[in-house]
Amino acid sequence: MSEEKEYKSVTVDKPIPTTFDLGNLATFDPNPLDNSKLKNENEREAYLTATTRDNVQLLINQILSLPVKTTTDSQVSSTGQNATMTLIQLPEPITQLPREKPIPKAKPPTKWEQFAARKGIKAKTKDGKMVYDEATGQWVPKWGYKGKNKELDNQWLVEVEDKVKNTEDELIDPRSLSRADRKKLIKKNELQHKRNVKNASS
Amino acid sequence: MIRTIKPKNARSKRALAKKEAKLVENTKSALFVPGATGNKLLHDAMVDLMALKKPFVKKFSKKNEIRPFEDYSELEFFAEKNDTSLMVFSTHNKKRPNTLIFSRFFNFKVYDMIELSILPNHKLLQDFKKLTFTLGLKPMFVFNGPLFDSHPVYQHLKSLFLDFYRGEETDLQDVAGLQYIIALSAGELDDNSSDKNLPPLHFRVYKLKTFRSGQKLPRVEIDEIGPRFDFKIGRRISPSEEIEKQANERPKQLQAKVKKNVSTDFMGDKVAQIHVGKQDLGKLQTRKMKGLKARYDQDSDFDEENDQDFDDHNDGMDSDIEYDAPQPKKQKV
Repeated sequence: MSEEKEYKSVTVDKPIPTTFDLGNLATFDPNPLDNSKLKNENEREAYLTATTRDNVQLLINQILSLPVKTTTDSQVSSTGQNATMTLIQLPEPITQLPREKPIPKAKPPTKWEQFAARKGIKAKTKDGKMVYDEATGQWVPKWGYKGKNKELDNQWLVEVEDKVKNTEDELIDPRSLSRADRKKLIKKNELQHKRNVKNASS
Repeated sequence: MIRTIKPKNARSKRALAKKEAKLVENTKSALFVPGATGNKLLHDAMVDLMALKKPFVKKFSKKNEIRPFEDYSELEFFAEKNDTSLMVFSTHNKKRPNTLIFSRFFNFKVYDMIELSILPNHKLLQDFKKLTFTLGLKPMFVFNGPLFDSHPVYQHLKSLFLDFYRGEETDLQDVAGLQYIIALSAGELDDNSSDKNLPPLHFRVYKLKTFRSGQKLPRVEIDEIGPRFDFKIGRRISPSEEIEKQANERPKQLQAKVKKNVSTDFMGDKVAQIHVGKQDLGKLQTRKMKGLKARYDQDSDFDEENDQDFDDHNDGMDSDIEYDAPQPKKQKV
């Protein structure tokens, strides 16, 4: 056919083959450039453009022969239309480039984590925040607002615990005592947290 | 107590988390700082370089009295404050006219720095009057010349410009997004070229045009859209070996694990070797029959005697020593 002659070639011959870093869409041409052409004001631009075109042709040939993935994700969601996109799957970049920041270090284990590792204690499986309340037949949070751990606070009648009996705490309202216990636990946990942070930084 | 910077609200907490070192890093952003001696050309050049880098840029408008090669502590402060690890600083003086200093930072400390002076034959984006850049596209890179592989200064430049303009790291690339080409070229080293007289770096930006070629692959043509700079290479600071090593570390968590015993053959089929644990034949389920059930097993006493007799006969041929001790109970079958 005569049409074929109109098309220009898509192949490029290079004395030394070029190398590619397709992850960065880059190509490296080790063929030396002609210094005399580069120094000549009139020839320089045409020469650079011609060399670059050849290399871009080689790069595009490489990129388009990579595996392709077609998706129906729409790029412009405002129109609500789904257009298929042809995405090229790039390999990992080869060229080593310096990081911006060092690799984050792993957090040092807390005192509890050290202990658990020594004793072989596994982390508890998380079974959710809610717990079933037999009395009311409802699911209530274990802690927090209207939490199960605040059950005693609003009771009109509260049993005095055995261990409080015959001590000076006997006459104190057991409701306020349970609240004080909770607050104490929070304080203790905060203290432990602070200690862990301090140990981690030193 | 130790003083820990504790964010007071959720927004500042998020901002601090953004700044922290990450395993998979964000795209590096660039800060453009005009020096006290910066002029109109340098300003325009920075605007053009910025247009290519958008949206990962920040720009200062006030001039700053800094001499980066003498004291770069202030640049480090800017880098930390703005969380940018790339910086372009402009200076102009008689000895080094129209100079841009490209510096990179690692952990908010100067990693490397290079001085590039714009030679007179520059052409800015506005002189081309072609088009502006679409935001956030990944450009293609072309490095012409063997110096980019062999000479440390040009290796530095290659790494710098790749780092500067490569944009987001991705494994999927839209074909329609392949539009811009950044071409860096360097001629050959002359006989008389010393470290002070290196061949200039030619910085060109092209737009890709594709034409039908009668084949699947298109015929490529390129059209220069600017900016166009020829850079004369000046002073340079290279990273110390220790820092370079630290900056080029790859996190272990991201390295792909090598799968043992799995390969693909020439047909593209997955071939793997499977190791099955030792089978306990005693627990093998054979045919289910009423007569084979455990409860129909015969009484042990009678059985054992029989077995022992049988064993003794056998052992006589090999050796008696082993069976001198009382026989362990035979397992019922």
